[in-house]
Amino acid sequence: MKIFSNKNFVAWYFVFPVAFIHLFVIGIPSLASLALCLTDWRGLGEINYIGFENFIELFDDRYLKKAIINNVIWTIAFLTVPVGIALTCAYLLTGIKRGQMFFRLAFFFPYMLASVINCQIWKYLFHPIHGLGGFFERIGWDFLAVSPFTMKSTSLFAVAFVDGWHFWGFLVVIYLTGMYQVDNHLYEAADIEGATKFQKFRYITLPMIRPVFVFSIMIIIIWSVPVFDYVYILTGGGPAYSSEVIANYMYSQAFERFDVGYSSAIGTLMFFYVMIIVALFGLFRKAGWDI
Amino acid sequence: MIRTIISFASVIILSTSFSALAKTKVTWSMESNADRDPIMIEKLQNAYNNSQDNHELVIEFEDNETRLTSMRTAMIGGMGPDIVETPGPSYVKEYHAAGMLENLDSYAAEFGWKDKMIPWAYSSGVFEGSLYAIPKTHESMVMLYNKTLFEENNWKVPTTLEELEDVAGKIKAKGMNVFSYGSDGWQPTHEHLVGIYLNNYAGPQAVYEAIIGEREWTDPVFVEALELLKKHMVDEGYWSGSLENYYAIGWDDFHAQFANRGAAMMTIGTWTFQATQLGIGASDDEWGWAPLPSLSSQSPDPNFMIAIGTTMSVNANGKNKEGAIDVLNWIMSNKDKVLDIAKDFEFGEMVVPLTLSSSDIPTDIAPQVQDYLSEYARITGEGNYGYCTWTFWPADPGVHIWKDMEVVWAGDISVEDFLYDHQKMWDKARKNGDTLPVPLRN
Repeated sequence: MKIFSNKNFVAWYFVFPVAFIHLFVIGIPSLASLALCLTDWRGLGEINYIGFENFIELFDDRYLKKAIINNVIWTIAFLTVPVGIALTCAYLLTGIKRGQMFFRLAFFFPYMLASVINCQIWKYLFHPIHGLGGFFERIGWDFLAVSPFTMKSTSLFAVAFVDGWHFWGFLVVIYLTGMYQVDNHLYEAADIEGATKFQKFRYITLPMIRPVFVFSIMIIIIWSVPVFDYVYILTGGGPAYSSEVIANYMYSQAFERFDVGYSSAIGTLMFFYVMIIVALFGLFRKAGWDI
Repeated sequence: MIRTIISFASVIILSTSFSALAKTKVTWSMESNADRDPIMIEKLQNAYNNSQDNHELVIEFEDNETRLTSMRTAMIGGMGPDIVETPGPSYVKEYHAAGMLENLDSYAAEFGWKDKMIPWAYSSGVFEGSLYAIPKTHESMVMLYNKTLFEENNWKVPTTLEELEDVAGKIKAKGMNVFSYGSDGWQPTHEHLVGIYLNNYAGPQAVYEAIIGEREWTDPVFVEALELLKKHMVDEGYWSGSLENYYAIGWDDFHAQFANRGAAMMTIGTWTFQATQLGIGASDDEWGWAPLPSLSSQSPDPNFMIAIGTTMSVNANGKNKEGAIDVLNWIMSNKDKVLDIAKDFEFGEMVVPLTLSSSDIPTDIAPQVQDYLSEYARITGEGNYGYCTWTFWPADPGVHIWKDMEVVWAGDISVEDFLYDHQKMWDKARKNGDTLPVPLRN
């Protein structure tokens, strides 16, 4: 009985309610979903075990391959554009004494809006009749005459742009928090040495916010895997699968084609992919990375 | 005196309460629509509830996508509404295969439902020889045109491919779009067009043969049909001016485009009649409709594609099956009430496929709709009907036909390759017993 009053055990009392809920809401359904990938279940009725048939089909599915490639492009895009802009803006904001709160709020505002609202705003802006395209056309310019959401060559980037637009403000807040933790004496010393603003950023700010930065990279990589809402609302993965991503494809298989077994197989792939990323970051941490 | 009044009032209140308590609740999960819901409450729920003392119908409205998911989850758990409303036979098939729907054979026989319904519509709910669903609404595809505009320009409403291409050239020369239509907000819109080209180029007989497995979808006639659609869509930009604009334009936009002379015609389902009447019907222009033109000599006669919009079934695990049957029978037995509901939607919704005579058609609806109803009955009655994809295609090929059509239009795969994949999906569906009921052709 002594073990239950042990100081180390007390923490488990606090964790237990959440762990219990997680077990039923996430744990068991996730395990069931993993099990379904070996079946031909159609969402209703009989469940038949079919071994690895779904996985064999997966490797032959050209649209899934397309979706995976798009997810990779999406991840790269998010690791570069919003991160770059957010770092720059956060750094510039640290130098602003007056009205900083206004900019912080302005940058963060899209993140507070529901994805449906963000999507509708940009859909209207890019609308060929009511949007900027229609406006420019009326004054004789051909600029944006075609919505980038409806062109095969631009749809993925257009959706990523909208999602990135809503997301980068969140990164600004994270980076800004990290930057305020940096000891001011370091900057003062650098000023005495005659360092430029860029040098201070490169040799002081960036190394000092590394834990926050690496964390942001990790969440971007992980969050890029189940990206769904912006794609679903703006393009539905089209045109011609040009903006298709894994989660949207999985949704289509389960709820349009009623192929829940196959959809679970896609989900299983996503699960292992995320696990690998988490494991990699775990390894980095063990290797002494400050994350 | 006061005591007498109180006693009398108590008796009335008690008897009313008992009568309310005695009523058993019948639940119906229905697709929500802000314009439609009040009419459904007034003319279906309240009308039914006032007609009898045994059951109380309660319609629960919900966004369709959410509704379908929550209803499915509830039914897997052995619960769900008493009346199961689905978007079409492919859904009924899934529920039926899972044993979740009540066999309606005995009720159909007892109440004579078969005789009250259009034969093809009745058979669309027959799975493995038994009735499991009744269509709540049936529909077709038509071609709408701006009658005033056509008269002003002496254009002829096209009935053949040559006439269509001829008038399309003239319309484009006037700076207008040929057809107003788009898929924004509803990606499966593509299947409306695919269905038109399959039926009106290859012909309903060829489509029927492919559905029942007597002809391959890779047959050259289907290849030609979809090549023609690709030409009209991608090369000619018939719909909203270009493929990209077609993708960008949604329901409100294409109705506005048609109403304000941005386009001269519109290919659309009959569910649009009310919106058309409120759109172009409210402008200075008059609208007309016509059967979709024949696109080849293989489909020389005008035909109407038949389709089921929504179905009604009884939940096998429902709490009040008897009540659910009673509601369905009320619908089947009260033609005047059902027509009164359909009338409010200009026969775009709640068009239960009951057999009608010309005298049944209300006179206080748009004359175009009256005319359509007569023509539809005449032409389909002669056996000239085609097949809409969302009613006769199993789930997997049913999604493929619209989703992957974009890949064809994008030029990523050929029509031949697309139809090869399509045939493979049909083969798989046939092997798994996933095909849907199709009425025998005369």
